[in-house]
Amino acid sequence: MADQTFTGWVRRRTTSARVKVADAAARVLITTAGLATIVAVAGMCVFLVAIAAPLFLPGKVSAARSLAPQLAEDAAAPVHVALDEHRTIGFACFGDGEVVVFDSETGDPIDRRRLFDEPPTAWSFVPGGDLAIFAFADGTVRHGTLGFTAEFVEPSEIEPEFRTLEVGASRRGDGGVVQRTASGSFRIQRFAAALSEPAKISEKPVRLVDLSMLTTGPVLVAVDDERTLHVKSVTVIRNMMTRRETLRVSGGSIELPPTIGGGSLPVHCLLEGRADSALLVWADGRALRIDTRDRSEPALAERLDLLPEGGGTITAVSFMIGKTTLLVGDADGAVDAWFRVRPSEQSELAALVDGTRLVRAHRLEGAAGVAVRSLAASNRTRMAAAGFADGSARLYSVTNDRLLATCPPQDGWHQAITALSISPKDDGLLTASADGCALWQVDVPHPQTTVGSIFGKVWYEGYERPEHVWQSSSGTDEFEPKFGLVPLLFGSIKATLYAMLFGTPLAILAAIYTSEYLHPRTRARVKPAIEVMASLPSVVLGFLAALVFAPLVERVVPALLASFFVIPFAVLVAAHAWQFLPTARATRLAGWRVPLGLLAAAAGLAAAFAGGPAIERWCFGGDIMGWLAWKPDGEPSPFASPFGGWLLLLLPFSTVGSWWLVARASSGRMRTAISRMDRPQAAAAQLAKFLAGSALSLGVAAGLAAALSALGFDPRGGVVDTYVQRNALIVGFLMGFAIIPIIYTIAEDALSSVPEHLRSASLGLGATPWQTAVRIIVPTAMSGIFSAVMVGLGRAVGETMIVLMAAGNTPILEWNIFNGFRTLSANIAVELPEAVPHSTEYRMLFLAGLSLFMLTFLVNTFAEWVRQRFRKRAFAL
Amino acid sequence: MTDAPATTPPESPPPAPAPRPHPRSVGRVEAPAARDLAAIARGEIREAMVHAEVGKEEPVVEVDAFSLFYGGYQALHDVSMRIPRGKITALIGPSGCGKTTLLRSVNRLNDLIDGVRTTGDMRLNGDSIYGRDVDVIELRKRMGMVFQKSNPFPMSIYENVVYALRIDGQRDRRVLDEVCERSLRAAALWDEVKDRLHESALSMSGGQQQRLCIARAVAAEPEVLLMDEPCSALDPIATQKIEELVESLVPHYSVLIVTHNMQQAARASDYTAYMVLGRLIEYGPTQSIFQNPKLPETEDYITGRFG
Repeated sequence: MADQTFTGWVRRRTTSARVKVADAAARVLITTAGLATIVAVAGMCVFLVAIAAPLFLPGKVSAARSLAPQLAEDAAAPVHVALDEHRTIGFACFGDGEVVVFDSETGDPIDRRRLFDEPPTAWSFVPGGDLAIFAFADGTVRHGTLGFTAEFVEPSEIEPEFRTLEVGASRRGDGGVVQRTASGSFRIQRFAAALSEPAKISEKPVRLVDLSMLTTGPVLVAVDDERTLHVKSVTVIRNMMTRRETLRVSGGSIELPPTIGGGSLPVHCLLEGRADSALLVWADGRALRIDTRDRSEPALAERLDLLPEGGGTITAVSFMIGKTTLLVGDADGAVDAWFRVRPSEQSELAALVDGTRLVRAHRLEGAAGVAVRSLAASNRTRMAAAGFADGSARLYSVTNDRLLATCPPQDGWHQAITALSISPKDDGLLTASADGCALWQVDVPHPQTTVGSIFGKVWYEGYERPEHVWQSSSGTDEFEPKFGLVPLLFGSIKATLYAMLFGTPLAILAAIYTSEYLHPRTRARVKPAIEVMASLPSVVLGFLAALVFAPLVERVVPALLASFFVIPFAVLVAAHAWQFLPTARATRLAGWRVPLGLLAAAAGLAAAFAGGPAIERWCFGGDIMGWLAWKPDGEPSPFASPFGGWLLLLLPFSTVGSWWLVARASSGRMRTAISRMDRPQAAAAQLAKFLAGSALSLGVAAGLAAALSALGFDPRGGVVDTYVQRNALIVGFLMGFAIIPIIYTIAEDALSSVPEHLRSASLGLGATPWQTAVRIIVPTAMSGIFSAVMVGLGRAVGETMIVLMAAGNTPILEWNIFNGFRTLSANIAVELPEAVPHSTEYRMLFLAGLSLFMLTFLVNTFAEWVRQRFRKRAFAL
Repeated sequence: MTDAPATTPPESPPPAPAPRPHPRSVGRVEAPAARDLAAIARGEIREAMVHAEVGKEEPVVEVDAFSLFYGGYQALHDVSMRIPRGKITALIGPSGCGKTTLLRSVNRLNDLIDGVRTTGDMRLNGDSIYGRDVDVIELRKRMGMVFQKSNPFPMSIYENVVYALRIDGQRDRRVLDEVCERSLRAAALWDEVKDRLHESALSMSGGQQQRLCIARAVAAEPEVLLMDEPCSALDPIATQKIEELVESLVPHYSVLIVTHNMQQAARASDYTAYMVLGRLIEYGPTQSIFQNPKLPETEDYITGRFG
């Protein structure tokens, strides 16, 4: 048989089963793995979206449970209501000092008591806690807490009737409400009131009163019948023997000017949270702000109109948590939020008594034409609620002017909402009117986040104007979280930009050098060596940047800036000097060009460092840090002149401009003349041209700098400003260092893969290696180089450790190269350990991750698109 | 300028080849070429058979006992030849005989290859090519090269043609336009591309691309035009066009062309050099090489019995 075939073997014409099975198995395996990869990547994206999406969901407020149709015996409307944090028990306080405690499940009254013998003349319930103060006709006040206590009882000790309770269920009894907790024990919630002894603050009946609790003790303000505002600090003195507490009241008072309110009494008196400013509001909208920083000598700080549109009547006023933001509701149904800001303009600041003024920052969407009758603030967030005269209520998020829900009145109820309360955990809204109380289920986990408030400017409490701010947490509950992603996006872009600015040219030039100049054998060693740089952990780079490089750079800023110009200048001078060598010798010494170039660069560096102090003296008034930090304050200063900064900033542009100009201006005749000269002459002519160009660029930069300085422009506040040790320059260097190997490797591959015949064609026509590289190789490899840059960009955008350690992590929006920033990635790394799962902050961090993903996705898509275009140009090679 | 007066020092005509018994006179031996090749491969020195006519021509390039080594491998063995001015000289020989290496040595493109070493010298119009003081870049400005595979740059037709002027810093639009037109006309390409000068050169056909490369080389005003199998990738019609084009370039240009195509060498060249295994075997006027070769190896090769 074998003899019948040419090669001596007989080929079977069927594929063996084993091969078929292997083929089928491989196909299944590869298909599965490929699909799984796609699903996994898509799944990550879906996961990010799933975590971040609830931020943008509206939340819901479900229908009310109407409680106790009539809490008060005489059909009076409550002036204050409150719920405990488990929403099992509530109380309503009436104007005559009566308190009705009720089971919030059924509305059945549990307890009914009178707090005082005499009805109070004025009262105030402090938002964000249990604090309350009552004032009386005899000029005394009593302050204290009206709230709830919780007692835990083991199942063995509880009354038998409660043992059958389901987990979470509650029942009235034992002087409060008993609820079975998830752990099986029982919690008894009871109402508790603890009021101080009366303290006399005025001889006249007190008509208005408010209180703020400081760490040093309570501070109160009160207005009596005679239009006198009293500001008092209360000190508790405990008798060591009898253990009796007495109150000592100290402070001052101020007569309200008769010109305001037509001699009438104000209708509201409020004291800010830190007790340094009190506000008196008349019904027509006029208001006085009193500076109470010095309690013994209150002074008029500001007169203002809380209804600047004119007309109208103020019907409700309340502080939000922290007692800084003031909610003002009027008879037309509008709800405004005001707070004090400190103007940044010196001239404005000088005109203000205490350096601040009250401004209206938010307008909330009210019920048109229906008067606001009551306002309430959340104990923990920037949520607020307003009750209206028609019995409806609205829930708002004040930070972003957002109406969260509208709660219509119960069927058949028409009375105005006189009091309302957001439950301590923000999960319920209790409204109260003469008709009764209603409890709404609130489920709005992320009131503060909308697309507008995350990516747009938001007017945060205490800020002069709407701004992009990221500040997710602070030490106190009163803090308003600021979830603006823009500063973080900006930080990522800034870090990337400065790193690319530094890293890209170096990496691409290095790639050109190795692919076009270096001997192939040397290249085979150099390339892996540079690639090893990429394996340097970025945490090490960040560590070096923060602890070694940053302090080092800080000392040599002028020299460093100068070296950017001096080193290229020195190298170019050396290159021109080389031309003086006779051709023969130049050819023979060709191998010395690189070492000599390096020597010139080193000489340039030395010159820059030697000249650094001189530059600092001439351009920056002797101290660049002082120069950078200088702010105009009217005083003469060596730092006042912006000339030096302009000079350094304009020099790159004037250099490019002069180079272009010299190239244009040197006519064909001049070039012909130079080409006719012998070598030393031509070299001299070229050197003269170069020096003239350099002088021109310096002169143009100096002239423009002087002109701009004379016109009063100052670069400070833009790309240069106050120097911070960990800044964009440091990150630019170190992150540039991190991305160089990546860009280098890919760019070098692209350059090396340009067909050799193009290189030969260009060199064969007498082009120098540099001309070949710039005119032929780089344009042909452009798609690859572009990919390299984009991959580097992707790395820089996502880079975390270097920016985390070296960028200072201040989420500020400025281009200043000498200041830090916070990137999306660093922010996630810094804050994720602190974020409570499923909280707004937690989801915001996932949104930041998603934004980062979108950013790189867009960059890569754009890069791919551009690359395809470049590739089309260089097809068929 | 190419037409610079011949400053070449007058060379004495090469010594007449030593008389040796012509194989044909002895009668046909069994596979003489194979036997002689074996002798060459063994390293036996064989004097090249250079016809007397070559010596009468004024040389543009002189190759002087030139040897080239790729690392340890010797690719050219002591080659000496004179390329006549204003004529087409063809290099023929079997694959790997060193034709292309010799051609690329003329403009020192072999310098780029790792581990290349040379001995001997070449002269371009009397100026040393391999001297220590020679600036390679300036040397290459005096030559043009056309490669086996057309290699237009990935830019417009116009920019391809004027590339040599661009790298010399010429920016005068009129000069560029004129050189472009003249070069394209010389390459018989003008009428085909004059309306799309600013389109990509890569959009042209293969034959057009090769003519573009010739136009590009011509625009550089070379003293000698080196062509490395310029038609090997082209169809017969395109080949014919290129051949006509090359013929039209003399006597203005001197052309050194490497070819695998015996007919092409016979049709299109004035002189032919036959190389084997890195050695020059026979060199003379094309007509006598093809019709009356002096060596049997040459005859075997050109008649297709070997190679």
